[in-house]
Amino acid sequence: MSASAGFMNLYSRRLWINRFNLAVSLLTMLIGLFWLGWILWTLFEAGFSALGPALFFTMTPPPGASGGLSNAIAGSLIMAAMGTLIGTPIGMMAGIYLAEFGSRGWLAPVTRFINDILLSAPSIVVGLFVYEVYVIQTRHFSAWAGTMALALIVIPVVIRTTENMLRLVPDSLREAAAALGAPQWKVITLVTVRAAKAGIVTGVLLAVARISGETAPLLFTALNNQFWSLDMNQPMANLPVVIFQFAMSPYENWQHLAWAGALIITLGVLVLNILARVFFRNKSPTY
Amino acid sequence: MNAAVLQPLQETLAQKIQVKNLNFYYGGFHALKDINLQIPEKRVTAFIGPSGCGKSTLLRTFNRMYALYPKQEARGEILIDGDDILSPRQDLNRLRAKVGMVFQKPTPFPMSIHDNIAFGVRLYESLSMREMEERVEWALRKAALWEEVKDKLKQSGTSLSGGQQQRLCIARGIAVKPEVLLLDEPASALDPISTGRIEELVHELKNDYTIVIVTHNMQQAARVSDYTAYMYLGEMVEFGVTDEVFIKPRKKETEDYITGRFG
Amino acid sequence: MGTEHLSKQYDNDLETLRSGVLQMGGLVESQIRGAIDAFAHGNQDLIDQVIANEARVNEFEVQIDDDCSHIIVKRQPAASDLRLIMAISKTVTDLERIGDEAEKIARMSRQIHERGHADLHRFATVRHAADIALSMLRQALDAFARLDAADAASIIRQDVAIDTEFRSILRQLITFMMEDPRTISTALEIVWIAKAIERIGDHAKNIAEDVIYIVKGTDVRHTAVEVVEREALS
Repeated sequence: MSASAGFMNLYSRRLWINRFNLAVSLLTMLIGLFWLGWILWTLFEAGFSALGPALFFTMTPPPGASGGLSNAIAGSLIMAAMGTLIGTPIGMMAGIYLAEFGSRGWLAPVTRFINDILLSAPSIVVGLFVYEVYVIQTRHFSAWAGTMALALIVIPVVIRTTENMLRLVPDSLREAAAALGAPQWKVITLVTVRAAKAGIVTGVLLAVARISGETAPLLFTALNNQFWSLDMNQPMANLPVVIFQFAMSPYENWQHLAWAGALIITLGVLVLNILARVFFRNKSPTY
Repeated sequence: MNAAVLQPLQETLAQKIQVKNLNFYYGGFHALKDINLQIPEKRVTAFIGPSGCGKSTLLRTFNRMYALYPKQEARGEILIDGDDILSPRQDLNRLRAKVGMVFQKPTPFPMSIHDNIAFGVRLYESLSMREMEERVEWALRKAALWEEVKDKLKQSGTSLSGGQQQRLCIARGIAVKPEVLLLDEPASALDPISTGRIEELVHELKNDYTIVIVTHNMQQAARVSDYTAYMYLGEMVEFGVTDEVFIKPRKKETEDYITGRFG
Repeated sequence: MGTEHLSKQYDNDLETLRSGVLQMGGLVESQIRGAIDAFAHGNQDLIDQVIANEARVNEFEVQIDDDCSHIIVKRQPAASDLRLIMAISKTVTDLERIGDEAEKIARMSRQIHERGHADLHRFATVRHAADIALSMLRQALDAFARLDAADAASIIRQDVAIDTEFRSILRQLITFMMEDPRTISTALEIVWIAKAIERIGDHAKNIAEDVIYIVKGTDVRHTAVEVVEREALS
């Protein structure tokens, strides 16, 4: 009798400890979600009203006048696209080297180490670097400089995800291709990379999401442009810097546009993340 | 019953693979010790032995699969049709086109069934689309898979069941028309019915290819092979006609292993 | 047969099988002795007992063959284990036939003694032949228990001795029948008894051949004695 009573004590004690911990975790999650929710709500509240065709087709206005963000949006799109286009192939090749050839020699571990550092380097450092190396040499800000800075941020991300995704492909698949007499480069391109395709693409999408919101590097490289310009050798408008400039101004219309810009960037990143998830989920592991 | 092998020792078969004084090292570990062996042509030879005895290691020297990994090294001679494949002048890719391999875990490529089979063929032959389709059908028929997949050649290879995937890998291996087929425990990941199908397949393929199969299932070795080699701790203990090895083995170690007196 | 299997159960099963064979062999031996004593002295109880025990011999055969099937399906025996099982199955058949012959001897003896007026002391040769057969059987079972191929080979030679005895018994009986035609029925029955003893010798020889198969792996049935000895002693 006392034995079973003791057992019940132990059991109910455990039950209550469990419930307590569950409650605490729930509470802390809600606290975190609260702030997130508030941010998103504020964004929507402040910026939603500005969404509309005018926003996408009119240029940034002078203070007080009405206008849109067309040149900033275009500029961000162009530089993000170019940065990705330049950074992705470099990153992928390096990632392939690290994963497929990295077991021999000293170059691979060193590269990996440096890459890990670059991955977590503050983006302002990247911006300053490009400023020093390119902007000062050419004596003006330009979209090319901005593209370069963004590419330098894309590269480490793509290297890391490419290498990781390729490592997930089991050796048995490589061996099966090699066993048919395929030379190593064919094994890599036709089989291994193909098997890791979904993961690599996801990595690229995440890199794009990352650079969409970077302000500091663009500040020192592309700067900003009030007018519509697609000249890569001139400063180019972009959303982050525009937001930076407009939000801190005393002009109401500018502040409003800044909120709208922030909302656009957030929505863009949201869409990219959803795309990445959907893309990855649909592909069942092909190995 | 293998009627062709009733008078085995009088049978003079061409020796497809000759292994001479082969030693193999994983880094510092001496995995294969002084192996001498002859694999007869167009017959099935089985390697049996407890885990870690070196049978898979030996199998993988025949297509130099170990060359993919840095610290693995083979010394000695392995002659296939008289050519030493361990020589540095040997073209590894050509070797592997001639000596095919099927692995324990089915590994379909992430492409359609048709492309899976065409992959190997495209490496060394240029066939017209029609010829390629014929070759794909031929390979799938040989692997006893054609009827099951003929309507879904465009579907991914990974959509098949385990047994089907393994037969796909076998079809892929024979599509390039190798001379030797190496099977590394091809049925150990499969259920009994799929295993039975694979064994039937090996029996039919024997007419055209020299087959070497590694298996930890002794009854499978007894059923499927003409010759059996028993290995232990990296050494070749006994090699002979399968029926003799399983009914009247010459060495006590072989007898102990076969009758489950190990340990 | 050397070291033990990884599975203790397997070892136990084989041990059960072996001792079953030896038990059956012991029973059959006593059947033969009983039948020959019955021939010599006409003891009715003994005859009845031999005839009754025949059922037990048959039971043994069925049981042991069943056990063999079980081991085959469970263990898929190979090499020496396989040869042991195959040989036991055959040995058990031979033992059962020996039991049949013993029963026949008992039945004939009954008829002879019921008819009466036969001077069976003249047929010590029958007794002698029976002794040889009995010793062959005992030696074969002994060789089986110790798995001694050399011993088994020597039994095969003794089969020749029984054939010689058989022919001399026949000659004796012919003389017997010519002397007194009234004794023909009894004489014929004695011929059957002698034939049964000769068959017992053959079966014992078969068992010896089975032992050589178990130990050496060579099937020496239907081969000359010299070949058998060479194989057994190699």
